[in-house]
Amino acid sequence: MKKFNRTYVMGIVCLLLAAFVFFETGNITERLVSNEPGPKFFPYISAAGIALFAILSMIFDGPKESKEGSKPYLDKAGWIRMAVILVETLVFCIIMDFFGFWIASILGTFVFTWTLKGKKKINVIFAVVFSVVLGTVCYFGFTRGFHIPLPSGSVWDLLGINMP
Amino acid sequence: MIAAIPEALLILLQPMNFLMMLVCGVVGCILGAIPGLSGGLGITLILPMTFALNTELSFSMLVAMYVGGVSGSFIAAVLIGIPGSAASIGTCYDGYPMTKNGQAAKALSIGIMGSFIGNIVSCVIAILCSGAIADVALMLGPWEYFALCLMAITMVVGLSNGSVFKGLLSAFIGLFLSCVGGDMVTNQLRFTFGNTNLYGGINVVVLLMGIFALQQVATAYAKGQQEMPPVDTKSLSGFGLTLRDFTDNIKVIVVSLVIGLFIGFLPGMGSGISNLIAYGQAKRMDKHPEKFGTGYDPGIWATEVSNNAGVGGAMIPMISLGIPGDATTVLLLSAMTIKGLQPGPMFIQTNPSLAALIYMIMIVSSIAIVVIELLTKRWFPYLLKAPYHYLFSAILVICFMGAFSSTTSMFSVYLVLGLGLLGILMDVFGMPSTPLMLAFILGSKIESYFRMGCSYARGDLTSFITRPISLIFILIAIYSVVGPIIQKQLKKRKAAKVA
Repeated sequence: MKKFNRTYVMGIVCLLLAAFVFFETGNITERLVSNEPGPKFFPYISAAGIALFAILSMIFDGPKESKEGSKPYLDKAGWIRMAVILVETLVFCIIMDFFGFWIASILGTFVFTWTLKGKKKINVIFAVVFSVVLGTVCYFGFTRGFHIPLPSGSVWDLLGINMP
Repeated sequence: MIAAIPEALLILLQPMNFLMMLVCGVVGCILGAIPGLSGGLGITLILPMTFALNTELSFSMLVAMYVGGVSGSFIAAVLIGIPGSAASIGTCYDGYPMTKNGQAAKALSIGIMGSFIGNIVSCVIAILCSGAIADVALMLGPWEYFALCLMAITMVVGLSNGSVFKGLLSAFIGLFLSCVGGDMVTNQLRFTFGNTNLYGGINVVVLLMGIFALQQVATAYAKGQQEMPPVDTKSLSGFGLTLRDFTDNIKVIVVSLVIGLFIGFLPGMGSGISNLIAYGQAKRMDKHPEKFGTGYDPGIWATEVSNNAGVGGAMIPMISLGIPGDATTVLLLSAMTIKGLQPGPMFIQTNPSLAALIYMIMIVSSIAIVVIELLTKRWFPYLLKAPYHYLFSAILVICFMGAFSSTTSMFSVYLVLGLGLLGILMDVFGMPSTPLMLAFILGSKIESYFRMGCSYARGDLTSFITRPISLIFILIAIYSVVGPIIQKQLKKRKAAKVA
């Protein structure tokens, strides 16, 4: 597999970001305010800064990385692990959105624990109890104890079911 | 503020405040002890809980977590040779060899007492200095504040590991993120794309959960950093320290205290740097520098006193200027903003009892932590056997819960994922995340001060360099970025000449 120079990739990504910020800043409508640079000034400064230091990093850090070589950030198995945990968190967010925090947190804690344990053996019953206790304590602690609302789930709202 | 100390003590000694301070101090200590976790992560996780709590209870929890986090970081450094956080890198050099020499009890006791001395003395000095610094700060205008904020960011960049350019890049991304939402002067919407969830800007808790918490868990799992080496539990009994051990090292303690306090005071230079500088200084001062690295007492005293002295040092600019001294005080500053407080020179005048309370929490939690640590020292090895899969899964769930509760919107939950991806990308590219967080927190301040300065000077930009204090701060800001590059080039030239 061809090894990418991470600094160059970073530089290109940041240049694209700078171009996006620059373009979007142009769309900001500016009310006339005397004696001060207005709301477009700092976004332009940040776009310019991102572009400038992306280029400088490519010029100075890029060749160094090519010359010295850099350790791969992750091996193939590591990237797979990263993808798995990120997909799981995305699914967790979707479940939270549709079925509410209580159910999502119980399922999420168990799945995360199962994934994060790797090759270690764990007691399944303990993991289930841990997930139920954590999810329930967090949900009721926040909603009842602190009176801070947590998602109740759009599916239940749609079906007219009142979740505790 | 000093007059408000008795009142602050009474507030702190209220059962709930005191109990939560103890609990959070211990939790912070545990998080600090476990490599990969930190007191800062603990603050991030409990920040959403404090929304519903009163200000006094909130700060009892947050500040105790901070103190506990720094205090506990030496445990792993001494027992397994892996620092709990960057604050204890230097402790590994002599703490772990001392454990291998069969003196684990002594190494832990030095760590406990060193942390305690550093914390207490630095807090007392902070109490005495904060008021005076705030009085001076009241004489400054938007020009000086703009330059001060700029200096804080560039100092973090200049001192972050790796490339200065990547650090600056990270800071400018943070500045851009701080521009999202209505601007501070005219409330003109920017980068909201018609999404009402972005009208108020990106919530600081959401940013911290994504860039800090989610990124840490995901990368630690992907890198397989969940296994700890076995702990050598031999010779853990007894105090292991005599009064003579203390008196023999008094010079190292005093010097390390001054180093830690000064470095902690400088914006962006936290205990991660002070412990290494103090270690180097202790080695230079000692009659037997060859003994360093073999399990030598002054090595542990120097690092542990200096990193904890940094806590008090970092509090001075936070309380008196509204400028965070290190990455964790960035989080405490956000907590102040969330509570509707205005950190800055007026803070001590308008909230003297809260300012006094913060310092009292630091002192009382330090005393509580030293007692708990001394009593439970023999169980420290168990801390390092904490099952990461349970810890990390709980962190993930709490992190998303915190993001939702900070805005009561599912949009924030998805935003955490997006910002987590940004944090992971930055880690892949070797970009430090602290400049981004600091620039994000100070971004709106920098912009308002800059625009106010321009407005007051009728559009004259030279006002930023014609005012002496502003000019000094700007010059320091420039030097903190350019200085390391010049020093590197000079070193290269010297090396080439020698070769």
